[in-house]
Amino acid sequence: MQPFSFYSYPYDYTTSTGYSYPYSYSDSMDEDFNLPPLARIGHAGHVKRCLSGLPDSQTDLDSSRLAVAFYCIGSLDLLGLIPDKIAQGDLDLWREWIWEQYVSGPNGAGFRPSPFMTPLPASSQNPSSSSDPSSDPGYEYANTPHIIMTYTALLTLSILQDDFSRLDKAGLVRLLRACQRADGSFGTVPPGSGSTSAPGSVTETESDLRTLYCAFVISSLLDCWDGVDVDRAVRYVKGCRTYEGGYGISTGYEAQGGTTYIALASIYLAPSSSSSPSNSYRLTPTEKSQTISWLVRMQHSEGGFCGRTNKSPDACYCFWCGASLKILDADHLVDTRALLSFVADCQFKYGGIAKAPGETPDPYHTYLSLAALSIYSPRPPSPPPSAPSQPVSSSPSTTLTTSSISASASISAPQPSHCHPPVDANKASWMLEPLDPLINARKGTARWARERLKLSTG
Amino acid sequence: MSSSPIPYAEQPEWADVVPLPQYESIDPLAPILYTNEYKDATDYLRGIVKVGEKSQRVLKLTEHVIRLNPAHYSAWQYRCETLLAIKAPLDVELKLMDEIAIKHMKTYQVWHHRRLLMTHLLRSTETDKGLQTSSRSPAQIATSELTLIARTLAEDSKNYHTWSYRQWLLAFFSDDSLWERELDFVDSMLNLDVRNNSAWHHRFFVVFQNGVREGEEDRDRILRRELIYVKQNISLAPNNASAWNYVRGILDFNKLPYSTLAPFVQPYTVSHPDTLDDLVDLENPPPSRGAQLPCPAAIEFLADVYEREGGDSVLKATELWKTLGNEHDTIRKRYWEFRVKEGLRTIQAQS
Repeated sequence: MQPFSFYSYPYDYTTSTGYSYPYSYSDSMDEDFNLPPLARIGHAGHVKRCLSGLPDSQTDLDSSRLAVAFYCIGSLDLLGLIPDKIAQGDLDLWREWIWEQYVSGPNGAGFRPSPFMTPLPASSQNPSSSSDPSSDPGYEYANTPHIIMTYTALLTLSILQDDFSRLDKAGLVRLLRACQRADGSFGTVPPGSGSTSAPGSVTETESDLRTLYCAFVISSLLDCWDGVDVDRAVRYVKGCRTYEGGYGISTGYEAQGGTTYIALASIYLAPSSSSSPSNSYRLTPTEKSQTISWLVRMQHSEGGFCGRTNKSPDACYCFWCGASLKILDADHLVDTRALLSFVADCQFKYGGIAKAPGETPDPYHTYLSLAALSIYSPRPPSPPPSAPSQPVSSSPSTTLTTSSISASASISAPQPSHCHPPVDANKASWMLEPLDPLINARKGTARWARERLKLSTG
Repeated sequence: MSSSPIPYAEQPEWADVVPLPQYESIDPLAPILYTNEYKDATDYLRGIVKVGEKSQRVLKLTEHVIRLNPAHYSAWQYRCETLLAIKAPLDVELKLMDEIAIKHMKTYQVWHHRRLLMTHLLRSTETDKGLQTSSRSPAQIATSELTLIARTLAEDSKNYHTWSYRQWLLAFFSDDSLWERELDFVDSMLNLDVRNNSAWHHRFFVVFQNGVREGEEDRDRILRRELIYVKQNISLAPNNASAWNYVRGILDFNKLPYSTLAPFVQPYTVSHPDTLDDLVDLENPPPSRGAQLPCPAAIEFLADVYEREGGDSVLKATELWKTLGNEHDTIRKRYWEFRVKEGLRTIQAQS
């Protein structure tokens, strides 16, 4: 497993008036900005290559390909390349492949990780065989929705601006309901699906905080919490808190940056209800300062964040810990320049971002590093439409396609806006689209998801 | 490269199975360039699952798939169902899985599988349904699991899954004889690396989070023992965040004021402590010779003591935070400036 694999998985000063520019910009990036540029073209190339194929050494990603697709397409989104800089044909194909993973059954609707258990249709195998799904024990194995994959699919489809007309939203609610356990946690797939086992049987799949977080994001996007016993779930989350001030992946386990992020995001996504106003779920002031203290101490003197006390820094924790601090309104306590400098050192010379300097890159660390930059180095708000801006070509010849990713000048850094002090090209290359820290997606993507996925009840 | 195994199609004992190739659209996302061996094995797995066969040879096939892809959760799930369906001896399964657990310790499924096996073993010994699942008692099973965990941690002393599994196992069997040896185990791990936070966490889990066991009823004695233990560790290696977190953890858990430790902490907050080396004070062991001082964690602790005292002491806290931000812990300069600002606000509110 990667440091905190989500195959499973967030700035600014958001006020009621919207996005305002963080002050961290002025004191961390103004003077002596001497980082190398963020190799945007290289990173886009890396994730595009992974989308087109992975080597056999990556076979262990077979049952989480949708998550890989999310990290790749999410990276392109944070770099501001979707939809304008990707060929429309590619975007359509990507969307179709994701919809091919959509499955629906008695336990609700959702997405499977890939067709890794799906046989070729019977017609192409043996034209004479009949296909009655109910009599085929393999059918459910190939058609069981997985909550974590469903979360990544919904976000990826939002990036691709899908209208979700094919989605059974009530089916999503049923899926969540089927997956919640008595202790408040969630199984990754419904009990008994794809198997002869009954609920509570000893062959249940794993359940922990990762899945609970995904169930909370899905409910939040649907704006419908009917599939979740929120009180019970939040109690489970709180039980994962440790004496250090972080959270472990399940009750009794060591505090870890990734699981602390999903615990905090879940707590802050939880809705208010008449019986328990939302505030009661939030951390007490004492808990909050203890957690902030633990999180800031995760920043290593080299600039990157560690996942646990006394471990080495790893790029993915720049997101997990950095986003956690953002959720707690404590992002201004981070040494932003040191963080950027660490990410700069993790860039691989042929594109992609690795977990640490000198390591090889992968989509997971590339996406999470970019997501951390989206929090700690967000692009300034766009200038007013009337402002003269640098021309950006949008002709098809400069569009990024799988075969021509190298020389596309059009995907270089956004031009600095005249509203702010002049910034050089290097500095501008580090500015990314701002992120919604609770659901881990670009703000525009999050808005799209909330608008299209809202389940109108009544 | 190992030589490639004989394809299933050429093995007579698989002749009756119809292999089912994986469906993939013309333009798949992130397709994996599978090896022929993986394709072959999963073709047969899909074929078996389609007809719902549960048999001895399914164990062979799922083991093959798992060795090629230990994250294949469906193969694991189907394997577990098969084991139970054919009433396979689970001791044999555990032994086979020992090697796979160590080889693939970073894979979630490996440990989840063991949890399922343990759950089933305990359930069947309790209900005594006469299933020949194991000839051993629950305590014997758990003890051999603890041994496997120790072997795994010898390869990777901070492996998260393995430590989690140890904690799960102890709570699951909840047998006093198992808990007894845990502090010795923690000791042995900390002797290898005093900065192993997983071992510190485990100590907290064992001592404070799982009820009071026989011989540990005198909680004041336990608290004193733990304080001496962690102070001695700090004395040997002062700059160890895990030990400082542990101190804070036990004070918070037992609702003890931080000020009780001020006499111990003070010598660690200065460059040249004014302590008498030959005076052996178990309650307040001094920094060892050659220790890198002052220790930022000690300064932070002492500042917390001052802050909690309130009144004029808060100003002393802000002075310490300033030294951290400007000198001893500059990566967190913003954080320490924030603490100073908050402290000054408290002082203003008081006056």
